[in-house]
Amino acid sequence: MQTELEHLIQMANQIVANNSFQKDIEQTAATTANHLQKFWARSMKKQIIDYAAQDGSDLSPAAKLAVQQLAS
Amino acid sequence: MIEIFDPKALDPNKDYGTPPSLSETLVTLDIDGVSVTVPEGTSVLRAAALADINIPKLCASDNLESFGSCRICAVEIAGRRGFPASCTTPVEAGMQVNTQTEKVAKLRRNIMELYISDHPLDCLTCPSNGDCELQDMAGAVGLREVRYGFDGDNHLDAAKDESNPYFTFDPSKCIVCSRCVRACEEVQGTFALTVDGRGFESTIAAGQDESFLESDCVSCGACVQACPTSTLMEKSVIDAGQPEHSVVTTCAYCGVGCSFKAEMKGDQVIRMVPYKGGDANMGHSCVKGRFAFGYATHKDRITDPMIRDSIDQPWRAVSWDEAIGFAAGRFKSIQAEHGRESLGGITSSRCTNEETYLVQKLIRAGFGNNNTDTCARVCHSPTGYGLKVTLGESAGTQTFESVLQSDVIMVVGANPTDAHPVFGSLLRKRLRQGAKLIVADPRQIDLLKTPHLSEAIHLPLRPGTNVALINALAHVIVTEGLEDRAFIAERCSDNSYDQWRAFIQHETNSPEKMAEVTGVPASSVREAARLFANAGNGSIYYGLGVTEHSQGSTMVMGIANLALATGNIGREGVGVNPLRGQNNVQGSCDMGSFPHDLPGYQHISDDAARGRFEAEWGVKLDNEPGLRIPNMFDAAIAGHFKGMYVQGEDIAQSDPNLHHVEAALKSLDCLVVQDIFLNETARFAHVLLPGSTFLEKDGTFTNAERRINRVRKVMAPLGGKQDWEVTMMLSNALGYPMDYSHPSEIMDEIARLTPTFTGVSYDKLEELGSIQWPCNELYPEGTPTMHVTDFPIGKGEFAVTEYLATEERASRRFPLLLTTGRILSQYNVGAQTRRTDNQMWHDEDVLELHPSDAETRGIQDGDWLGISSRVGQTVLRAVLSERMQPGVVYTTFHHPDSGANVITTDNSDWATNCPEYKVTAVQVEKVSQPSEWQQNFVSFRDQQNALLEKGRRREGI
Ligand code: SF4
Ligand code: SF4
Ligand code: SF4
Ligand code: FES
Repeated sequence: MQTELEHLIQMANQIVANNSFQKDIEQTAATTANHLQKFWARSMKKQIIDYAAQDGSDLSPAAKLAVQQLAS
Repeated sequence: MIEIFDPKALDPNKDYGTPPSLSETLVTLDIDGVSVTVPEGTSVLRAAALADINIPKLCASDNLESFGSCRICAVEIAGRRGFPASCTTPVEAGMQVNTQTEKVAKLRRNIMELYISDHPLDCLTCPSNGDCELQDMAGAVGLREVRYGFDGDNHLDAAKDESNPYFTFDPSKCIVCSRCVRACEEVQGTFALTVDGRGFESTIAAGQDESFLESDCVSCGACVQACPTSTLMEKSVIDAGQPEHSVVTTCAYCGVGCSFKAEMKGDQVIRMVPYKGGDANMGHSCVKGRFAFGYATHKDRITDPMIRDSIDQPWRAVSWDEAIGFAAGRFKSIQAEHGRESLGGITSSRCTNEETYLVQKLIRAGFGNNNTDTCARVCHSPTGYGLKVTLGESAGTQTFESVLQSDVIMVVGANPTDAHPVFGSLLRKRLRQGAKLIVADPRQIDLLKTPHLSEAIHLPLRPGTNVALINALAHVIVTEGLEDRAFIAERCSDNSYDQWRAFIQHETNSPEKMAEVTGVPASSVREAARLFANAGNGSIYYGLGVTEHSQGSTMVMGIANLALATGNIGREGVGVNPLRGQNNVQGSCDMGSFPHDLPGYQHISDDAARGRFEAEWGVKLDNEPGLRIPNMFDAAIAGHFKGMYVQGEDIAQSDPNLHHVEAALKSLDCLVVQDIFLNETARFAHVLLPGSTFLEKDGTFTNAERRINRVRKVMAPLGGKQDWEVTMMLSNALGYPMDYSHPSEIMDEIARLTPTFTGVSYDKLEELGSIQWPCNELYPEGTPTMHVTDFPIGKGEFAVTEYLATEERASRRFPLLLTTGRILSQYNVGAQTRRTDNQMWHDEDVLELHPSDAETRGIQDGDWLGISSRVGQTVLRAVLSERMQPGVVYTTFHHPDSGANVITTDNSDWATNCPEYKVTAVQVEKVSQPSEWQQNFVSFRDQQNALLEKGRRREGI
């Protein structure tokens, strides 16, 4: 069974994948960050932000950037 | 002199004899010295009825085309010979009609005498006594004697057919008026009945001399309602006698939202009769709404509040106060220990708008967080997201009736004849009138088989490739120059169109390229695209086959793109129409059930909107969205989400990857379930609060056409409280005061806070019957068709919808794709319909598979099959079916022990987390015993039922 964090990582990567057509990484990250901001609960945001800060290796580059933007 | 204009503003309880004419040309004639003005094409019978001159009739009814067989409606018309039948004679200007002459009266008596001579004279003991048109007409024509005697040839000893669980067919009483046959064809569209033989020999038969149950009959009851005698009669009326009063209310099953007259004897429902004044159904219904209401008084109903410390303990029946106090106490201590965000709740799409509103209010204001969600998460949340982005409002654009003006109808991932039957009947009516049909579905759905005028195009795509298909359709339209340039220029944002156009023209989206993915031949896709683009009015209807995918939201946007590109938005006959599953799933979304949306889809981070709620509710609200259902489960397993209030939802049966769900529920410290039965979720609960059915409460439901319909209480709640009262008690016990004395007060509050509900009130609903939101200063009576002049976001937005394959792929280990759906007689998780005679049509879920897949595995019809996916395993019986394409298998999820959701995975839509129910890679093989999950399920269920029994026995209940 997937852990909560694994699931969050998968979801973030999936949002990126569905929003990257003909966009550069900056644009995709901005769209993704906006989606996370609007639809994710505080606890979900916090976990993914912590993860991106400490490790983040399973996040796609755009997802990682998005999470960093979310943190700032 | 009376002047009357058809149609509308009629008495829905009166039968005007023939259907209204829609002509705008008016004709004036004279009937019995009264001047009457009606639309051209109206029958003399109807014109007279409108002037309250009621000509006797037997074979005519105003929901059927006139037939002219009984002749009892004969009249005299100046300048015409003989006695024309008024039901088949259209009005003409200046016509002079005489409905009551001596000659006419004699003729009518003679006709009646013939009918009665072949009819049993047991009126006093007949179940129709008091509600029989034959009896009424005999009285109306003044029949006093029957000269022919009853010893001649007759049908008096013909055998009854009692095979249908809900109605009886007693041919001895049949007058062969063929109303039943025509109702089955014209109203229902099933063509199950025929008139066999000719003249005196003629009889009514279901199918090829089969019983009703064996025939194609789907038990909609239209024939029973049409029958003027007691030939076709509800068994409930035969048993209990004629009802004595009736109350208009709304069906609590599907998103069509049919209006019914609940016909009562005291507080007992005798029968449900679809209400002609209901704008969603106009007097029709399906087997569920009409007949399957017995669950409301089933012995399994929970009527006492119950509590227990842990789920291995027996239940204890307690008072309402004790149960509420127990729940509130646990919730408070959970929050004290684990923080404000450790609680959440689920609103019900089966409860009323007012009840749903109250639950989310309790969560936001009482719990102090936004952890609220609803079952729409698992069905139409992508509709909310996708339509909001593209069209600016999270709802379908049309009325149901709009389909009668469509020229080409595209049905995507929906099965209306089973899941939205009354709308399905309307759709089939339009197909019989010549509209063309395009079906995009992995299966050969029944709609493709029903009689219609023109050819239908079936696009049998592989599960999970919707977006590829919709892009290919749009690609053809754009590259062949078939788009509606004027509409796009005027109504859509240029920037979004340019981007989308560049994207969709790309070779990768061509039907030829996409054929490899979808499995649909490019030529059919091109044909369908041209047909749709060139239609005068093209409409799109879609269901869960669109939303329940990893790209559900993308697909919804793809559908909106197609409608925008072809200019099919903003008038009758067109539009984007989600067919919503549960009775009030539209309403539960509208009422702010989603964690990020306040009522009326106002985002929780919108300070102005939130400010209005804070002022009305008198508390500060959290401005961050809360957890969605799957997130709650994850958080529960991770240990920081500890308590839930679940009203009227069965997440332990309906949600995917049940192992995961069960693990989550077991890790809660306090689960409060409010339901009418001990449902699967309640087996994991600590507090069980009796719910009330739609018959036991006042409120409103909102159907798939945004229509707000009244639900009216016809009996007292078995548990003593309506659901909104229970939420109120819980809120008060938690320290957040709520004080309503009637749901109308809750609606008034909703109307104050929700811009699209401005001015909605029970008084207004009483006056108008129903209201389609948006309702506001500009449209005080509601908005039947949306986006007529502009969109809530100004211009329509095209969205780039790139196709991405789902991660759930067929592999060597799991070579087949499982998809799920529903059938007519059962409803959702089946908690209600399984407790009625609807079981006779579907008492177990089966696995449908194509004969070629069966052959390679040595599977025969009826074999037990083990079905395994990467998350679980279950066992179902095999049914071989050519409706499936090779490589795709299908099942329903109406029975909990089938465990269909043990195998579905927690893959989900990227934008909304709506689960990907429609695609699961599986393997099937022959087995000899139930799966381990099923064995555990049965033992857990038996154990929980025993714990419930113990609780009930102890209290002597
Ligand atoms: S069954 Fe009823 S509706 Fe049908 S032909 Fe006989 S009398 Fe008419
Ligand atoms: S119940 Fe409905 S489907 Fe069955 S015969 Fe009557 S009209 Fe036809
Ligand atoms: S289940 Fe749906 S179609 Fe059937 S009666 Fe109820 S609302 Fe109408
Ligand atoms: S009612 Fe007109 S012919 Fe029967």
